[in-house]
Amino acid sequence: MKRISLWISAGLIIAATAGAVAAADMASVIHARQAHYKEIGKATKGLSEALNSPSPQLPAIQAYARQIDQLAPQIPSWFPAGSGPEAGVKTGAKPDIWAKSAEFKAAAAAFTTEAHRLDQVAAAGDLNAVRAEFPALGKACKTCHESFRQKD
Amino acid sequence: MAAEARVRVWDGPVRIVHWLIALAVPALWWTGEHDQLDWHRRIGYGVLGLLLFRLIWGFVGGSTARFAGFIRGPRTVAGYASRLFRGEKAAVVGHNPMGGWSVAALLALVLAEVGLGLFAVDVDGLEPGPLSRFVDFDAGRAAAQWHAWVFYAFLAMIGLHLAAIVFYAAVKRDNLVGPMLTGRRTAVEGAAPMAAAPLWRALVAAAVATALAVWIARGLR
Repeated sequence: MKRISLWISAGLIIAATAGAVAAADMASVIHARQAHYKEIGKATKGLSEALNSPSPQLPAIQAYARQIDQLAPQIPSWFPAGSGPEAGVKTGAKPDIWAKSAEFKAAAAAFTTEAHRLDQVAAAGDLNAVRAEFPALGKACKTCHESFRQKD
Repeated sequence: MAAEARVRVWDGPVRIVHWLIALAVPALWWTGEHDQLDWHRRIGYGVLGLLLFRLIWGFVGGSTARFAGFIRGPRTVAGYASRLFRGEKAAVVGHNPMGGWSVAALLALVLAEVGLGLFAVDVDGLEPGPLSRFVDFDAGRAAAQWHAWVFYAFLAMIGLHLAAIVFYAAVKRDNLVGPMLTGRRTAVEGAAPMAAAPLWRALVAAAVATALAVWIARGLR
């Protein structure tokens, strides 16, 4: 009897520890995700401001566009199963990201397409083309956010 | 009974600024809530100009518009507050000692709202305020958060402003809304009426305020 309860206790401790470790992992996944999105936000802020400037600096615009293009394809990988609100960490990620996974991936892919287009247009060095393309990127941000991000 | 004598209390600029801001606030709220940031910015720049004008007018405007005239010391305010619930009217043409501070608080809140909005950045980085380039993304986001929070303080102050108007109408039998429309009120015994400022000063102040507002709205360039 003593033996059995010992095993049960040990099992419970292991399970609890594993759960805690998983939760801590998910917390770091969520925080990393937020940091990545913040990098995109910084780059779009920089782009918006550069395009509002009377003398836009092309190299800065190109660097921002490149950065967004590099981050965009990673987006689906920032959302492993279990990193939604159920992780118990404050997150704006809606459960639909996983419930409607195909839709989410399509929205992320649309953003990736726009990010790549913007990067190419910026690399070509035509400011007016960048100006024309940028709203499409913004729209792709918003389309995905409307369905899959909690409004704060 | 003979018609009561009416005297000037608010000059034209004070009334115009007051009512334009009163109209702008619901428009700014609506456009802010519904992601109409283009219009939110345009109207906000208008309020910036009105606010700058009002601040200048507080130094060079008509006597009742001037801060030096209506910002009163604590003793005067406390004295007025202690007699607040008596039916008597304030012996002043213009802001009473408590009302002066209420106006100062309202102007300070508009200033805070406009100031924060200039630096605010939306979460997607797509709609930065005209001065956001002077701050980083996190500071811009913080400005946007405070822009939202200070609005609630501003709403509370507007609520107090409206409650005071009802209180003065019901308890003190003093109509505050009419004079803000017509610029005139019933004469107050022993209180001088407003001394107006010349029109040219209003024009100069408006020109300076407009130039400043445009410069700020363009991101200080």
